[in-house]
Amino acid sequence: MDERRFFAGINWPGTAVFVLVGLAWEVVIRSGLLEYEYLPAPSAIGLGLGQLAREGTLAPDIAHTLIAVAIGWTVAITVGISLGFLLGLSPTARRYSLASIEVLRPMPGVAFAPVGLLLFGFSLKTEMVVTILPVLWPVLVNTMGGVSGVHPRLYDVSRTFRLSRKDTILHVILPAVMPPIVVGARISLSLALVLTVVAEMVGNPEGLGYGIVREQQALRPDLMFAYIVTVGFIGIVLNAGMLALAETVFPSSRQLRGPQ
Amino acid sequence: MSAERKSGSGDKGAGPALECRSVTVELPHRFGRKRIIEDISLQVRSGEFLTIVGPSGTGKTTLLRVMGGLTSPASGSVLVHGKELDGPPDNVVIVFQDYSNALLQWRTVAANVAFGIERTLDRTDIEQRVRDALALVGLEKNAEDHPWQLSGGMQQRVQIARALALRPDVMLMDEPFAALDAMTKASMQDELFRVRDRTGTSFVFITHDIEEAVYLGDRIAVLKGSPGRIDQVFEIGLPAPRDQLSTRQLPQFLEFRYAVHQAIGR
Amino acid sequence: MTHSRLWRQYFTVVAAALPPARGMLPLVVLLGAWQLSQTGNSPYFPPPSDWCNGLVLLEKSGRLYPALLATTMTMLLGLAVAVVIGVGVGLPIGVSPRFSRAVGPLLEFLRAIPPPAIVPVAILFMGYDERMKLTVVVIAAIWPILLNTSSAAEQIHPMLLDVAHSFRLSAVDRMRLIILPSVVPAILLGIRVALPLAIVVTLLVEILTSVEGIGALMIGAQRNFQSPQVYGLLVLIGLFGLFVNSVFAVFEAILLRRWPPKAQSENF
Repeated sequence: MDERRFFAGINWPGTAVFVLVGLAWEVVIRSGLLEYEYLPAPSAIGLGLGQLAREGTLAPDIAHTLIAVAIGWTVAITVGISLGFLLGLSPTARRYSLASIEVLRPMPGVAFAPVGLLLFGFSLKTEMVVTILPVLWPVLVNTMGGVSGVHPRLYDVSRTFRLSRKDTILHVILPAVMPPIVVGARISLSLALVLTVVAEMVGNPEGLGYGIVREQQALRPDLMFAYIVTVGFIGIVLNAGMLALAETVFPSSRQLRGPQ
Repeated sequence: MSAERKSGSGDKGAGPALECRSVTVELPHRFGRKRIIEDISLQVRSGEFLTIVGPSGTGKTTLLRVMGGLTSPASGSVLVHGKELDGPPDNVVIVFQDYSNALLQWRTVAANVAFGIERTLDRTDIEQRVRDALALVGLEKNAEDHPWQLSGGMQQRVQIARALALRPDVMLMDEPFAALDAMTKASMQDELFRVRDRTGTSFVFITHDIEEAVYLGDRIAVLKGSPGRIDQVFEIGLPAPRDQLSTRQLPQFLEFRYAVHQAIGR
Repeated sequence: MTHSRLWRQYFTVVAAALPPARGMLPLVVLLGAWQLSQTGNSPYFPPPSDWCNGLVLLEKSGRLYPALLATTMTMLLGLAVAVVIGVGVGLPIGVSPRFSRAVGPLLEFLRAIPPPAIVPVAILFMGYDERMKLTVVVIAAIWPILLNTSSAAEQIHPMLLDVAHSFRLSAVDRMRLIILPSVVPAILLGIRVALPLAIVVTLLVEILTSVEGIGALMIGAQRNFQSPQVYGLLVLIGLFGLFVNSVFAVFEAILLRRWPPKAQSENF
């Protein structure tokens, strides 16, 4: 049930089931066997996607969401990695901030939406308010854990070979912490997408999230599902893209595929 | 295999390669300090293979770390070629027991072996030393692999190669073969002999395996008690070159084994 | 177990797991600075003291507790149903590799859809009511539980199954005595991950549709420009989340005291 199996082998029974379910769904709706006003057939969803693309609404919506994700995620990982390093290297700093982090961490991003609306109304900034704080945590915690978790043996080795402090950080600590940082950044990316979509559903009426809600209110389930499928697809692409990028730049991260 | 052994000759003089004088070590323990080892006086002659044995918890690893300059003694001193230590000395290297944590898993084997010398030597010298070190441990074919792709025995050999690239006078080894299976252990033991015969390095070797200690050692130091003290030092007068089968069958081997067991168990 | 012993256990577990209290300093300093820097009546950044007043006002109007109750009940009920379905579906998937392979890609596809995206679908299908809210919470919370259960069932050491076989246990007994106990830690981990998810989705529905709950109160306050109440409710949600998570952590610790401690992986 993990990525490896999904991408690597050819899972004939699995693909067959998948295709069969899709076909059954199509047949059941089209033939009128199941009359459900709001459940479109897969083909209708596909047509809906095409329609949105032709109308020129899909591309700008995708662009808006992606830009919002990019901004929010970049800010979050910059702050997260910097703070994570600081806290990872200094046990004192950790002692004086861990409790605050543990209190703030479970705050649901969506709860910030009314605050964002209050402060910024309908704008990109509201999306940022919802996205940035929750997205900060995975990368901060992973960086902090990675830096503070560098095995003492590696420090022993640096000292045995008489490395300067600068060389220790550059050649030993930095490469050692790259895998968990990358994992944290990847999780943050997925989270950023979800939160941006949420923010667009309840806050800023733009982008894919708003598209879903708009089509829902317009009673166009085919278009609504088209938007949903787009969001899912973008999520997969972002995650896989980040995974591929990480493994080319840091081959050692292959050891640590991270939590699924 | 020749019995030639470079013993203490050359520019290092005839004195001991490494010496502990009344070394006592205390480490933080709960709310105070605990005395781990006490009044350790030991000499490691050039080209000698000194094994250290003793019950668990007697401070063998601590002693090794003091010799390697990673821990400072509370009293007493450690001298390398007559000079007192001030931090890790540059001709003494430690080979740690947990090899996977001691290697830089993100570097290739060759890059790992170069780790100790890449800052001090130029490119051609580095490449030469890496090649020599890898040849000494038999890993020439794995130079471009990553440690995590190799077996435990091979990873430990990478660590040994890394130490050898430095051309150290003394190699301190903390139960390096404890995690390996019996056959790999045997071939690694003989590999150490080959290294010693070719380079004249002194070895300080901690082990729990008494037979290993007798097989490898020119002398065996028994560490006992809490705090740990040197209980006895055995001179192992077994003939060289040593062989896994014939040496281990000699009556003297069995006598030494018995004596060391007794020394520890008492 | 007497009440006082339960409380003592609760506090010991909580105290042991807590980070040092001085770590609250940044938060305290932040709130303090906020309080002190607000002299005027800024509609955007009311001082923390005003937040309390706002909450008290809400309580007096009688809307706070019903909303809190509604949110809590939805969340708990949704989780309970999610556990039943998640374990019920996850176990067969984990136990049978053939079934798992067959259903694999389908589940991967469904998993890729973020739970918040399900909300408008549910609204369309079921309208604006409690049942819809519950359905969405269940759908969102199912995934971590189902996936953890199935992967744990899959990873039961074959040795244990051999033991079951050699003692000739019936299928029911095997499930009851071997399989289920083996997956309990994973189920609890799944619930621990599903908890914040359930809270988020519940709030999302309430904010989007103004179905009764804390989220509805929050968006209502925002629309009326009652900023102290918005912030106050935010803090309330934070405390609520903290409380729920800690209660569950204690519950989990007590339940799992007989299992060997395993390295817990961080799941977001």
